[in-house]
Amino acid sequence: MTEMHGGSRQISGPYQLAPGRTRIYVWEKPVRFAHWLLVLSLVVLSVTGYYIYNPFVISRGRAAYVMGTARFIHLVAAWAFIAAILVRFYWFFRGNRWARINQFIPTRRERWQDAVETVKYYMFRRWNPTPRIGHNALAGATYTLIFGIAVIEIITGLALYNNVVHSKCLGLLVGWVPRLADIQWLREIHFLVMFALWFFFIHHMYSVLLAASEEKNGCVEGMVSGYKFVTQADLQREFGTRPGGEKSEPVRAVRQTPAAGKVSG
Amino acid sequence: MGSLDQQTLPAALKARGVSRRQFVKFCSTMVATLALPPRYLGAVVKAMESARRPVLVWLEFQDCAGNSESMLRTSNPTVTEFVLDLLSWEYHETIMAGAGKQAEAALERVVREHKGEYIAVVEGAIPTADDGVYCTIAGRTALEIARHVCSSAAASIAVGACAWDGGLVRANPNPTGAVGLQEAVPGIKVVNLGGCPHNPANTAAVLVHYLTFHEMPALDQYNRPLFAYGNIIHDQCERRAHYDAGRYVEEWGDEGHRKGWCLYKMGCKGPEATFNCPVVRWNDGTSWPVKSGHGCIACASHRFWDNKSPFYKRLPQVPGFGVDVTAEKIGWVALGAMAGAAAAQAIGSTIRKKVRPPEASEGPTKPSSSPEA
Ligand code: SF4
Ligand code: SF4
Repeated sequence: MTEMHGGSRQISGPYQLAPGRTRIYVWEKPVRFAHWLLVLSLVVLSVTGYYIYNPFVISRGRAAYVMGTARFIHLVAAWAFIAAILVRFYWFFRGNRWARINQFIPTRRERWQDAVETVKYYMFRRWNPTPRIGHNALAGATYTLIFGIAVIEIITGLALYNNVVHSKCLGLLVGWVPRLADIQWLREIHFLVMFALWFFFIHHMYSVLLAASEEKNGCVEGMVSGYKFVTQADLQREFGTRPGGEKSEPVRAVRQTPAAGKVSG
Repeated sequence: MGSLDQQTLPAALKARGVSRRQFVKFCSTMVATLALPPRYLGAVVKAMESARRPVLVWLEFQDCAGNSESMLRTSNPTVTEFVLDLLSWEYHETIMAGAGKQAEAALERVVREHKGEYIAVVEGAIPTADDGVYCTIAGRTALEIARHVCSSAAASIAVGACAWDGGLVRANPNPTGAVGLQEAVPGIKVVNLGGCPHNPANTAAVLVHYLTFHEMPALDQYNRPLFAYGNIIHDQCERRAHYDAGRYVEEWGDEGHRKGWCLYKMGCKGPEATFNCPVVRWNDGTSWPVKSGHGCIACASHRFWDNKSPFYKRLPQVPGFGVDVTAEKIGWVALGAMAGAAAAQAIGSTIRKKVRPPEASEGPTKPSSSPEA
């Protein structure tokens, strides 16, 4: 922890915490696993998917199998993507308080207000961001949207795939899709959602870097290690108490999920 | 057109001078088209020899007569001869000798005397807007005729895209409210033979199947026979190896085009179209469009004029945008806008950080209008 907050200058060791900060375990393993598997699969899916749309590589060798290979990789990565989404969805219901479904769909008034405040911050109507130990309400809602379009991508993708393999099992799952919209429109949606995901990628990179520079709570490294470094005020707002107190002892705070009803703000 | 005599097929063929050899050859072609195992040849030949020829009427509504043409233009005598002789054709406006009152009387006679026995073939869409006035024959609307004739038929066959799902006539904006047969007359037994035009080999095969097994072949969700519409063009295409390898025609007449590479980039809809076009082919099995160098336009797919256009591009036009705005362009512009917004935000945030009053930066959690308790 070399990032300091509030102008303090004391760094005496790699594990020394900044004054007033508490080390807290936020992102559990399944969350991080799903996150990075999504990143990896999306990069692979995007490159191969764009090639399938527009085969820009001109292959001339006799044994060339470029499109075949691209489609194979695309399919393998697609299954990885589906697996990552399923893990993450499962963790909506099993994860800790920051991974739970209520962090993503703002059903409580406080969460709505939080989202409005964050919008104000982005619109320069506020001096400060609205730090949360987990996601702020706006980020949560954005991720809900992204999960939604990821599901659209999966459904259209499976429907397109079933157009090739004619599997009865898959037909049970997505057989209704081509009756709703012609296969060409599914292709179109599948293609445009790729751009929507890239769109989100730019937004996500920007917001994360902005949050990292403004809140200095290790939100980038947190997705690797699982830990964030939060202020007493953050803890106060989240729990109404101060675990760790002024001593800022590195605590693996709040590993257990408190009763869902107690989640505040 | 024959009279209503119920002579057998071999007798009719003999009268036309078709040899037994040609007859068996035709039967084996039909067995292959139906994707039946070769051992069915005997059964088909036997059935064809002894079948009483059922009566057939061919109705034309909003059509271009292309399906009739396709039926008649097979150069090799067999298919035409057989199809014309397989059944006793009592009514077909374009090719029958009679006209006017005489012709309509023939149709009425069939409906009256062969109720529940004859086969009705329909070509062309049926308009429903404004009480169907956009297509009337002998003072009756197409809708009335279709209801009257098809509901008394043993089975109806809709040939071509228009009779199946409205086809070109129904394409956006569909001013006449055209629909296909099964929508116009719900509840009847109908086999759809989509395609623009239908492939006469398939139509003949359906009739042969009916005569041999006394039922229509297995159908898919659109009531199209599976033997003809169960496979994707792309999976049967001879250019498929070039597709998998990544060798594509980039421009009409370029090197790839001359070498017979895949037409994917020219908008070929083979990957989303089902039909047995590459196997049965046209003009007596001579060729089919992709073989001759043009992409498939998915003519046998549901409402293909609307769904598969533009025919020379991979993806459809995004609704609400100009004709030369592709989905890809929209995507890139949106990405550019996002990147621009992020850059503007970054500049703004940097300035905000610089000018932030110290009391506001006391703690990042002390906003003036904090919502939290
Ligand atoms: S020409 Fe069309 S149908 Fe044939 S392989 Fe290429 S894309 Fe598929
Ligand atoms: S290639 Fe496609 S569009 Fe052309 S006739 Fe065959 S199925 Fe129809």
